[in-house]
Amino acid sequence: MAGLLLSPTEKVFILHGVQDDYRSDGRSNIDYRPMELETDVVSHASGSARLRLANTDILVGVKTEIDVPKPDKPDCGKLEFFVDCSANATPEFEGRGGEQLANSISNMMQKAYHSSQAFNLKQLCIFEGKQCWKLYIDILILECGGNLCDAVSLAVKAALFNTRIPFVKAALMDGGNIDLQLSDDPYDSKLLDVGSAPLLVTLCKIGDKCVVDPSAEEENCSVISLIVGLTGDRKYYYPKDADKQQSVESKCTTIGMNGPGSVAPKTLKDAINQGIVAAKSLDEALGQALLKERQQNIGIKKHSYGFLK
Amino acid sequence: MPGPDLLSSQGLRLDGRRPNELRRIRCKLGVFTQPDGSAYLEQGNTKVLAAVYGPHQASKSKSTTEGVVVNCQYSMATFSTGERKNRPRGDRKSQEMSLHLRQALTAAIKTELYPRSQIDIYVEVLQADGGAYCAGVNAASLALIDAGIPLRAYACACSASMAWRNGEPEPLLDVGHVEEAAGGVVLTVASLPNTGSIALLEMSHRLHMDYFKVVLSRAMQGCRDIEIILDKAVRDHLAEGWTKQDVVTI
Amino acid sequence: MTGHVSIRLASERVNACVASGSELPRFYTPGEVISGMQDFMRGHGTYAEDDCLKASVAGVMQKVNKLICIRPLKSRYVGEIGDVIVGRVLEVQQRRWKVESNSRLDSVLQLSAVNLPGGELRRRSAEDEQMMRKHLQEGDLISAEVQSVFSDGSLSLHTRSLKYGKLPQGTLIKVFPSLVKRRKNHFHNLPCGISVIIGNNGYIWISPQKHDLMVEGNVDEIQNYDMQPVTRSDRETMARIKNCIAALVASKMMLDDTSIMFAYEESLKYELVKDLLDPEAMLDIAFLTQHRINNIMEE
Repeated sequence: MAGLLLSPTEKVFILHGVQDDYRSDGRSNIDYRPMELETDVVSHASGSARLRLANTDILVGVKTEIDVPKPDKPDCGKLEFFVDCSANATPEFEGRGGEQLANSISNMMQKAYHSSQAFNLKQLCIFEGKQCWKLYIDILILECGGNLCDAVSLAVKAALFNTRIPFVKAALMDGGNIDLQLSDDPYDSKLLDVGSAPLLVTLCKIGDKCVVDPSAEEENCSVISLIVGLTGDRKYYYPKDADKQQSVESKCTTIGMNGPGSVAPKTLKDAINQGIVAAKSLDEALGQALLKERQQNIGIKKHSYGFLK
Repeated sequence: MPGPDLLSSQGLRLDGRRPNELRRIRCKLGVFTQPDGSAYLEQGNTKVLAAVYGPHQASKSKSTTEGVVVNCQYSMATFSTGERKNRPRGDRKSQEMSLHLRQALTAAIKTELYPRSQIDIYVEVLQADGGAYCAGVNAASLALIDAGIPLRAYACACSASMAWRNGEPEPLLDVGHVEEAAGGVVLTVASLPNTGSIALLEMSHRLHMDYFKVVLSRAMQGCRDIEIILDKAVRDHLAEGWTKQDVVTI
Repeated sequence: MTGHVSIRLASERVNACVASGSELPRFYTPGEVISGMQDFMRGHGTYAEDDCLKASVAGVMQKVNKLICIRPLKSRYVGEIGDVIVGRVLEVQQRRWKVESNSRLDSVLQLSAVNLPGGELRRRSAEDEQMMRKHLQEGDLISAEVQSVFSDGSLSLHTRSLKYGKLPQGTLIKVFPSLVKRRKNHFHNLPCGISVIIGNNGYIWISPQKHDLMVEGNVDEIQNYDMQPVTRSDRETMARIKNCIAALVASKMMLDDTSIMFAYEESLKYELVKDLLDPEAMLDIAFLTQHRINNIMEE
């Protein structure tokens, strides 16, 4: 990330490549590198996913806890993001070295999921005003190869898709205190509705053009990058309901900028449009992959590949 | 004698293993491209990742002419334990584990070969089901071999506990989380099984001196068994990575 | 216009191994006894204990007369005199540059070991020390040759030849040093119009072929030439070569100009260069290249 040095001639080469819409590995400005996804890798967590985007490796675990809802939102649950940059990625992340990066990514994710149209917190409610579910979304960055935000948002969406929330079996009212009994059967649980969960798209401004999915060298060449969070489309994740609902336009939930440079308003507008197009294709591809995986694992106990094979 | 029976009447443990049986170990070398060496190891349900950077130029403050500086970090992911852990590292237990890791691995690395250099070893625990430190040492050994750093021998770690059967002490090999939580003694040994020497010895709770030798020898046997498994994994990895062109014998 | 996005599942992961199962050599692992006799000399990767020679890394044995070495699959670069390396300048110090070369200690390039601009031969003055930054700055990439090895293992480089020096436009790939064989020539001009410098330290530099420049040209003119955009066809070829090298590295094959050329030819059937990023395409190219090399070796 920060420690990568490039010579001026290398930067010029990358710059000219981007102007020409042909990057150093043959991709155009809007192509993503091949990705690999797997869910349910950590058995202790309620939901988990691992995403590998070329060199970048992200592992997400979702844990559930029962909590008291906020007083101003009695029927909503809670989400908390925590990002940990593991020293496996680079020695600079040892100890507290990666904290700044981790905080910026977790803030970005928190803002993106803040809107109710992005993620409906009402589905986490158990008893209005008294009990709700709190989801701890823990993100572990194992390797950095550029484009962290996109990979993190994809992995989080996949992990939430995979999360199972136990059903509440019986609740005894004991003089105002509620005693919940959770079902012991791991399959007696409900899944979350994550169709509209947002995806972040990072657009790096190199020269005059913006590129999607920058590699670590390309990130080094750009002075400013734009991160756009866009809500997903339910129809990619729940195709059976596709005919029942009308198509919803994707909405922008957050915009962030990163870097010491500045952007002209026209470039900003073009970049956001580019981001919308990219987010749509990401969403579609992710939905297809997740549905395919679920299809493969119906009935049989999932064979976990993880890091082996 | 502690509470729940760690050994059933048929001689099976709480997870169905025999007293001298290790949990299933699966591992892979070279899982990442950025570090110089990396390895992934699963011991039962405990999963750890190890990454090695180096040897590279040591920072000025740490540089020494006597040998290489070994820098370890032990970190547990927040979702690794049953109850969510708030901080992955920086707490007392992780720092203590980092020092233990350093102790065990420095004994295995040939440090005199690399003055003024530094080797960084990072262990990340993805899922902790007992014996996470032992799995960490084993994974770090594999990662060091993957990085091509000269070692005296494999560094293996194993834990052992003790239970009673028919009034006789029966040491248990490779303690899982359930057995740890049951409150018995846990002896952790990190050794170089090839030479038979012990790099680190740690024990929790109490154990009578009469039984110490028996539990220790069971743990050492476990280390030897683990070494055989790791050796096979390394050979399989070499066989996969070797292509026809590169052997030169004159 | 939508971009290309592909997300595959872990169950579809391909195993990138192209090694032939037969004729595996004898592998040695750390702590294993190689021989009991004392009249062998110890090379890299071995140590002596209790009157026997033991291996300290995991790898294949290389025996040259009485010298036994064990070569591991992957390790940091260990420099030897005469090696060609590609390195990056880290620091400008007082009469020398510190160069990062993927070895365990940083290498040095002395001021007295570079060619002065204009080709003069004279003693370096105080002015030259001030002008060091004009010649090479932090972040610049250079190709150099190893002049000598210090006692602690760090390397001293030199660029005393016109073919070495600061590298112009191009792209760098980092691979393991053990995948690069020691050859007579490390500067290759491939027939497709691209020149490749395969550094012994695992850094590979791909750049468009340099057309002959007049040596007495104006320094500014030469610099402007370096900053000209590379032509589209050259760029495509460079991207193709880059992906081919990545495919060979993923299957842990040795890199030299023949294997890169074979891989390039095999990859021509994929019209779009970005298709070469898929794991299946990479395995396909590596497998076909290995096949061709096997055929040649059998002849």
